[in-house]
Amino acid sequence: MSEEIVIQTRALSKVYRDFWGRQKVRALKALDLEVHRGEVFGLLGPNGSGKTTTIKLILGLLFPTEGEALVFGKSATDVGKNERLGYLPEESYLYRFLNAEETLDFYARLFDMSPDVRKERVDALIKQVGLDKARKRPLQEYSKGMSRRIGLAQALINDPDLILLDEPTSGLDPIGTREMKDMILRLKDEGKTVVMCSHLLADVQDVCDRIAILHQGELKELDRVDKLLTVADVTQIRARGLSKECQNEIRDVISRHSGELMEMDNPTTTLEELFLSIVRDSEARPGRRAKVGASETVADEG
Amino acid sequence: MVLERDILPYFQWLLGSEDSVGALLQFVLVMLGFGLLALIVGYLVAAARHGLLRGGDVVFQTVTSAFRDLFQISPRRVWALSVLAVKEAWRRRVVVVLLVFFVILLFAGWFLKTDAQNPGRLYISFVLTATTYLVLGIALLLSAFSLPGDFKAKTIYTVVTKPVRAGEIILGRIIGFTIIGTAMLVVMAVCSYIFVDRSLDHTHRVEETGLKRTAASDDEYGYLGRTSLDAYHRHDVELNADQQGEALSNHSHTHSIEYDGSTHRVSGAEGVMQARVPQWGKLRYLDRQGVEQARGINVGNEWSYRGFIAGNTQSAAIWTFGNVDESNDPDGEGLPIGLTVRVFRTHKGIIGKRIPGGIQIRNPETGVQSQLELFDALDDKVYEYTIPRKLTSTGDAEIDLFEDLVSSKGQVEISVHCLAGGQYFGFAQADCYLRLPDASPVLNFAKVYLSIWVQMVIVTSIGVAISALVSGPVAMLFTVSFILLGFFKDTFVDIAHGPEYGGGPVESLYRLVTQMNMMSKIESGVVAAIIQAIDSVLEAFMWSVAQVLPDFSAFSTVAFAASGFDVPGDKVLQDLTTCLAYVVGLAVLGYFLLRTREVAR
Repeated sequence: MSEEIVIQTRALSKVYRDFWGRQKVRALKALDLEVHRGEVFGLLGPNGSGKTTTIKLILGLLFPTEGEALVFGKSATDVGKNERLGYLPEESYLYRFLNAEETLDFYARLFDMSPDVRKERVDALIKQVGLDKARKRPLQEYSKGMSRRIGLAQALINDPDLILLDEPTSGLDPIGTREMKDMILRLKDEGKTVVMCSHLLADVQDVCDRIAILHQGELKELDRVDKLLTVADVTQIRARGLSKECQNEIRDVISRHSGELMEMDNPTTTLEELFLSIVRDSEARPGRRAKVGASETVADEG
Repeated sequence: MVLERDILPYFQWLLGSEDSVGALLQFVLVMLGFGLLALIVGYLVAAARHGLLRGGDVVFQTVTSAFRDLFQISPRRVWALSVLAVKEAWRRRVVVVLLVFFVILLFAGWFLKTDAQNPGRLYISFVLTATTYLVLGIALLLSAFSLPGDFKAKTIYTVVTKPVRAGEIILGRIIGFTIIGTAMLVVMAVCSYIFVDRSLDHTHRVEETGLKRTAASDDEYGYLGRTSLDAYHRHDVELNADQQGEALSNHSHTHSIEYDGSTHRVSGAEGVMQARVPQWGKLRYLDRQGVEQARGINVGNEWSYRGFIAGNTQSAAIWTFGNVDESNDPDGEGLPIGLTVRVFRTHKGIIGKRIPGGIQIRNPETGVQSQLELFDALDDKVYEYTIPRKLTSTGDAEIDLFEDLVSSKGQVEISVHCLAGGQYFGFAQADCYLRLPDASPVLNFAKVYLSIWVQMVIVTSIGVAISALVSGPVAMLFTVSFILLGFFKDTFVDIAHGPEYGGGPVESLYRLVTQMNMMSKIESGVVAAIIQAIDSVLEAFMWSVAQVLPDFSAFSTVAFAASGFDVPGDKVLQDLTTCLAYVVGLAVLGYFLLRTREVAR
């Protein structure tokens, strides 16, 4: 296995059975996959498509029924691979009677870190995920967003080369979602490999280099995001400051070349962008309130 | 005190002797046997799942990676997991057990009587038994529900995705719960000791008017009297010419008495908690005709621990003690011995009247023996007696205890006779001992707590190992079964491999259903053959299980402290070694159970 390939699965299959060994569900069917070093890889699919099963098989939390999963060239069941791996589960499965500091210190000890390194790493991560003021509070008092942040911190405690994120933005507000996505991109910039699974398409689209789409346990699509999303027979033009005349001229040009004008309109921003700009503005200018009814008035006047 | 099994010297127990297999070899054989069985079962399961060749490869990989993991165990990781287990136990309000214990102690004084002959025995056995049950109970709950709790809450996901070996998880849990259990035991030990000491402490007054002067001569005189009646008893008092002395032993304690010129000051109870150090010998019996027998007369007890000797016949119980020399007599007063006599009466006589008996000392080499020293026996009372240095032989010659009655090999025989016709004395080997200098009662108390600690660690290890595979309630049931079978190991072994009545499990069930008594023979035929065939398989299985069952009744040393005996160092070492063996064996079991299960669902 090349050093460039961080994760490799060969005909990876998983069948869940009941107590008597009878087949309950075939969760994954002969998955062949390669994840390369330094990329952000997304596993997409509806609920029950096999995303989380794939992640669990890669982590060694489940044993494959057939096939194998290799991580850094080692079997997924080899504990040694975990030295270079970080994992953020779907929910923050952490010990709720510990506080943030104790939690990170505990996980750092599991990596056999010396006391000095441990202290330094714990401090840095608590600050990085913005929990400095809540570092002494037990996790049972944390909000969902705070729990996700401390969960992410524990996943990064060993400065891993490979980070597996299971539904990383689940339960986060838009700000938390953006921070998580920024964090993923930052990790990519640092040369880390990130594998995430999600059913929130926008999140995947924003951060992933390549995606695999799973459905009913089968791999349906696997390629670069930009390539998959490119519609080859449609040309998109984006321009600023065009006059009405110019726009009409463009319509004529398209018509002259037997093209079909599908849409020419002013673009809209995303709701996420709008929300974030409002929050940023509110933080910059506290006390400013929206004028209720102003927009309707403008529309009426228009 | 009942001592059904000899306590062998540690190294003889560990390494064995000509006629017994050592514990170490037994451990290795059991580990090899179970290891082989696990390999076969593991291969069959793997072959069924992956095919014959791949199955073999899976088993090989599992075994080799287990050896790799063994050498990669990190103390830091184990300690982190141990501390986590301690915090988890604390969060689960384990300290409530201490509150329960304090409540028990607070109200125990209402119900424990101090009017018994030996109230110390009652108090000590009560606190130690209460401690044992409480600590084993909490060890059971903590260990059986911890790992399944992690699986249920899925917190285990974030642990096993770190470079943590399954063995570290198991060891961490065992060590963590042992730490919390040890802390609780220390608190309980201190409180128990204070409780027993304070509850049984009392004093008396000397009845001044009853003091009588006695005199052997004009120069040698003293005073005799008695104390006031307090705590349901009084003592006889012996004072010297300066009126200093002691209140003689009653209710298993004494008091020292000082005189300040006007009044006698009686100290608190002394010797309530003792740690007598016995040196045991080998017991044999003579029957009515004086013929040597390995066992005494059976007076109808099913429990054949004690053999009896008939009164006013040539019947005798003879103990042979080795390694006897003048070091057994540091004070120069003679050879102190202790003797517990069980009396079996075939006719009542006068209620409460003592039965006369006699003790003789004999040199097994030369045959020289002392004249009969008489004593009066009450049932189940310990007689403490010092054999004087100067004795008279049966030939009326003056003899020296160590020079004439101890053989050149350091052996001496003590024979005990019952002198009342129609009455019987019953003895077991541990009922007569040479008394060595007493050990510290506090240290002895600590040794008993160490034996409770050993039981706690074993229960914890069983709970943790089993809970690596099954859910909390199932793990608890399994551990409870293991403990119960451990407490009744002898019965279990008897059914599996002994002189059981009514056959094995299936035959017993058949007799129950058909209402057939245990002694009738089942008619031979196909049914009987099938029943016996299944029973023979089940009995073999039971025998195998019996080899690994911890004998909890043998671990308990409560009887030592309650009876005022020092727990032998050899026993402490044997128990600690056995505990270590169980921890190792169960940690290995837990490792493979955790390795071979899927963490996620």
